[in-house]
Amino acid sequence: MVFSSLFFTFAFLPVTVILYYSSGGSFTTRTARPWVLGQHLRNIVLLAASLFFYAWGEPAYVILMCISIMINYCIGSFLDKDNTGRRKRKLWLIISLVFNFGCLAYFKYFGMLIGTITSVSGWNLNAAAPALPIGISFYTFQALSYVIDVYRGKIKSQKSPILFALYISMFPQLVAGPIVNYADIESQLADRRVTLRKFNEGLHRFLCGLAKKVLLANNIGLLWSQVKAMPSTEISVLMAWGGIMAFTLQIYFDFSGYSDMAIGLGKMFGFRFKENFKYPYISQSISEFWRRWHISLGSWFKEYVYIPLGGSRAGKWKLIRNLFIVWFLTGLWHGASWNFVIWGLYFGTLLLIEKLFLQNRMARWPKAFRYIYSLLFVMIGWVFFEFSNLTDALSFLRVMFGLGGTAFIDNQAIMKLKTCVILYIVCISAASPWPKKLALSFKRIHPNIYKLAANVYYCALMFFSTAYMVGSTYNPFIYFRF
Amino acid sequence: MGTKTKRNLSIILNILSVFPLLFILAMFILHLALPDITFSKEERRYLAQWPPVFHIEGIIDGSYMTKVETYFSDQFPFRIFWVHIQKDSDQFL
Repeated sequence: MVFSSLFFTFAFLPVTVILYYSSGGSFTTRTARPWVLGQHLRNIVLLAASLFFYAWGEPAYVILMCISIMINYCIGSFLDKDNTGRRKRKLWLIISLVFNFGCLAYFKYFGMLIGTITSVSGWNLNAAAPALPIGISFYTFQALSYVIDVYRGKIKSQKSPILFALYISMFPQLVAGPIVNYADIESQLADRRVTLRKFNEGLHRFLCGLAKKVLLANNIGLLWSQVKAMPSTEISVLMAWGGIMAFTLQIYFDFSGYSDMAIGLGKMFGFRFKENFKYPYISQSISEFWRRWHISLGSWFKEYVYIPLGGSRAGKWKLIRNLFIVWFLTGLWHGASWNFVIWGLYFGTLLLIEKLFLQNRMARWPKAFRYIYSLLFVMIGWVFFEFSNLTDALSFLRVMFGLGGTAFIDNQAIMKLKTCVILYIVCISAASPWPKKLALSFKRIHPNIYKLAANVYYCALMFFSTAYMVGSTYNPFIYFRF
Repeated sequence: MGTKTKRNLSIILNILSVFPLLFILAMFILHLALPDITFSKEERRYLAQWPPVFHIEGIIDGSYMTKVETYFSDQFPFRIFWVHIQKDSDQFL
């Protein structure tokens, strides 16, 4: 079940909201403290809804998730500082790491390993790789952050198995992030406050995300899939740039739309998740880009891999080693395929160059140059990300830089880009913070008109998103015989 | 601005702000209440019906859930109206 489906928005969501708010506690008062029955019941409802949500998409793997929850819950309570010795705690941590990384390695990377061995050595390994369980990379990382933080003594272990299960499986962030650190929502699990106003804010945020996905990402994605399907000998330079620009916008609206929906849904049930995207395409350097793109993943790797390895303080060689380890893993996390590793190492190299050589010089560059530099290298990165085959990626890059032997401009490119010109303008402005800034400065002058317009805007988003979700299921049967 | 217009504005704002929630609930209730359609003239095909009582295999491999989702979107209230809205706004973009 994806958020941007009719079934989720118009069946799962209303039922969950009704069950949640009809079970215990009134809407506006503070239903505080875990021992108050109301909050307890609501947590059970939310947990049941989350397990149903996951089982709907992964009826078999829901058992794997439950096992993972139980094991990590038990290890968490063994790790509590007060009652276990130091060596025993270390042993439990290692067991947890082996289990969590083992699951990830087997269910996500086993197929990649077999494929690589087969292609390198030519052996025919008769091993079947399992299908990838949805969201395993996200919930495993959440479980790991919990276990490691309990080990470090940063947080207390969660006593209630229901609350721990809710933390791992909560449906808003279960399948596509953001990766929520346990410390950030520990207090909210047991005690949170919901008002109608906050609920509405959450719903509005959800609608923004939904619109990003179904109105912007899906439509600009159509253009990119057309360009991607063309053989590289027939793509003109202009078409290649138009295409990769379309993909750049598509992946941003797709992913940040999902994060917006998750943050909004969380808010509808009283949770506050951290932001995951902060207008990444207005970055002025690659390192700034990674502070604005998928923030929760970047900070996970920073906190649990980069800093434990010594970060940047342990000398130049260690810095280089650490950067490459982190970016190898970041790339690999995005998918079980070597092109993601290349994509990760590409960014590792760029960040290393920025850290070692450019840091001071970049401040002297003109601002426009810094924008173009960052966006250009991010777009080149997306080529590696999108083509699973390195040869295809390189030949597409050759076309982009006029080395592919194709025309600079052709009629096809002009035709295609012309039909999408409004969509490009809408997408580019929506990826920048300026429309929001404009709206907020308008709010200061005419607060009432702003409120009215904003509410009408959300209604319009709802209306058109629904139309596009229904429209995507419209498939006329062309060869119908009466 | 007079107090009366101010009050009116706040009433309008309150109604508008819960509109998305009401819309979702209304569509859900309408979906349950409206009778299912068997044939779509516009698409020249039979629409999906509520999938019959299942085998356990259908649930384990997830095919039953896919059928339910197809049923839900095929029988969505005012389906053709939404499709027209989508087609018309597509021409604008």
